[in-house]
Amino acid sequence: MIGIENLTVGAGTRTLVDGVSLRVERGRWCTIIGANGAGKTTLVRTVAGFITPDLGRVTLDDRDVGSLSERERSRLVAYVPQHPEIPTGMRVLDYVALGRVPYHGVMRAPSARDRRLTTEVAERVGLSSFLSRDAASLSGGERQRMVLARALCQSTPVVVLDEPTTGLDVRHQMTLLELLHREVVECGLTVLATLHDLTLAGQFADRLVLVHHGRVLMDGPSHEVVRSPVLEDAYDIGVTVVNVDGVDVVVPRRGASGAFREPR
Amino acid sequence: MIAVGSPPGRRRLVAVTVAVVLALVVAVGVGLGVGPTPIAPGRILGALFSLAGVGHSTLTPLQATIVWQLRAPRLVLGLVAGSMLAVAGASYQGVFRNPLADPYLLGVAAGAGLGATLAITRYGLGGAIPTWTPWLAFVGALVAVVATWLIGGRSLRSTPATLLLAGVAVSALLTSVQTYLQQQASAQSIARVYIWLLGSLASASWHSVAVVAPYVAGSLVVCLFAARALDVMSVGDEEARSLGIQVRYVRWIVVAAASLGTSAIVSAAGLIGFVGIIVPHIIRLVVGVSYRRIVPLSLLFGAAFLVLADTVARTVMAPSELPLGVVTALLGAPVFVIILGWRRPT
Repeated sequence: MIGIENLTVGAGTRTLVDGVSLRVERGRWCTIIGANGAGKTTLVRTVAGFITPDLGRVTLDDRDVGSLSERERSRLVAYVPQHPEIPTGMRVLDYVALGRVPYHGVMRAPSARDRRLTTEVAERVGLSSFLSRDAASLSGGERQRMVLARALCQSTPVVVLDEPTTGLDVRHQMTLLELLHREVVECGLTVLATLHDLTLAGQFADRLVLVHHGRVLMDGPSHEVVRSPVLEDAYDIGVTVVNVDGVDVVVPRRGASGAFREPR
Repeated sequence: MIAVGSPPGRRRLVAVTVAVVLALVVAVGVGLGVGPTPIAPGRILGALFSLAGVGHSTLTPLQATIVWQLRAPRLVLGLVAGSMLAVAGASYQGVFRNPLADPYLLGVAAGAGLGATLAITRYGLGGAIPTWTPWLAFVGALVAVVATWLIGGRSLRSTPATLLLAGVAVSALLTSVQTYLQQQASAQSIARVYIWLLGSLASASWHSVAVVAPYVAGSLVVCLFAARALDVMSVGDEEARSLGIQVRYVRWIVVAAASLGTSAIVSAAGLIGFVGIIVPHIIRLVVGVSYRRIVPLSLLFGAAFLVLADTVARTVMAPSELPLGVVTALLGAPVFVIILGWRRPT
């Protein structure tokens, strides 16, 4: 469970996250949406413990993130960055196995249990056939699945993902999000993610949080947020939502947008 | 042909380990057995066994002096220096995730160079090298690293890049002072400084081995234990932190240990270039990117490589010696190029 209370984060004179409060229950998927520079990444990186907030606090399973050691935190929250660094020459299996470091530490070798969990997760995520390949040689989609596998290997109750589908084709975007969805449903994983694709965001998250200039503009069930008029304000464009077979498809409209103006 | 650079299997790892250990054995044999005074290998072997209480040495007193007081300390200092420089290089490359990092990066070379130049040009009577030159070089190296850390690494917002840039700035400053001192000095002093800067094991003694050993031993232990943390850090600082690694803490410990060990070596043997960069890369190309393999194998191979290079340095133009740094580059560069040529896409 993630608790965010009155969170404020600044950089220099700018306020990036401004008094945000959120609560994500166990086994739920919450996606943060908003324009570039709205504060999404800062928000999720603060939840992951990389940024110390100026005000407010983040709790994971009711424990204050700021008071946890790195090792304790790594057993509570796993993080998938937007652009993961993939070392050349490392085997896929070894990369995924890094997810067990929070348990065996850097002084000891992985235990038999660590190794078993690693192969189990790799199998679940569909990596079995290229475990001995060079991690850097994978395609974008395979690579992102490998990074997800590493995060799942951490066996944390919470996974935080920053734009995990960046650079992936539609099929690989769907595959990745479906895998994550299965973990939420079957294992009770709590997910906090940022996504740019509003149609995908609406389909996978239980709840969407729309942020604008570091503040929460709207927070609610996915279908309500994507159909809200404030979406147009947040992105400063015209948006039409079409329901196709029960799926809300968010279509940006040409001509009805402020995209040609200086962004507000 | 082996697919160099690909993630290695256990068989290749065993093969490489055996090859490196053999190289080390050859290096020890050559280091003790080769010199201007020919001594039969059997006699040297007998002397070695007699150390372990097996049989007795048949060396003449003169030969015994040559082997135990000239060749042996030089061999041991070579082993210690080679392993330290190679391990420090591998560790620096790991903590900075920069393949060009070498042990002299954070100002060790410039600091030691200035210390030695100061000692030789200002206090070296008649162009001689004062006996306390190593200490001044050691202090210079440590002062430079500490200055680099104070400028580029202390603030919370500092990154590996700021530390590297601070190293560049400190090195440039100290080198300019060193150049000024040289310009003011006599031609004889400059020649001495130049020889010192190029590195040599010629002044090796059991005393110099004893002085550097504690620093090197401590440094090697830290770097070996940090290898697994370096593997985790290869995915980037933030992800390593999310995996429970105290990245800043590991970085400072490794940098401090590697710099201390390198400073000790530089004080005893001058600036031996190339080992710290070429040895870890050769090992990496053959056994892959895991520091758990690179660090221990670099230790063994670095030791063998430097002793073999030193043997070349002291024999090809005997009785005069080639600068060791020249030989390490001359030997290392072609080996490196050959291995790079083997490398093929995986």
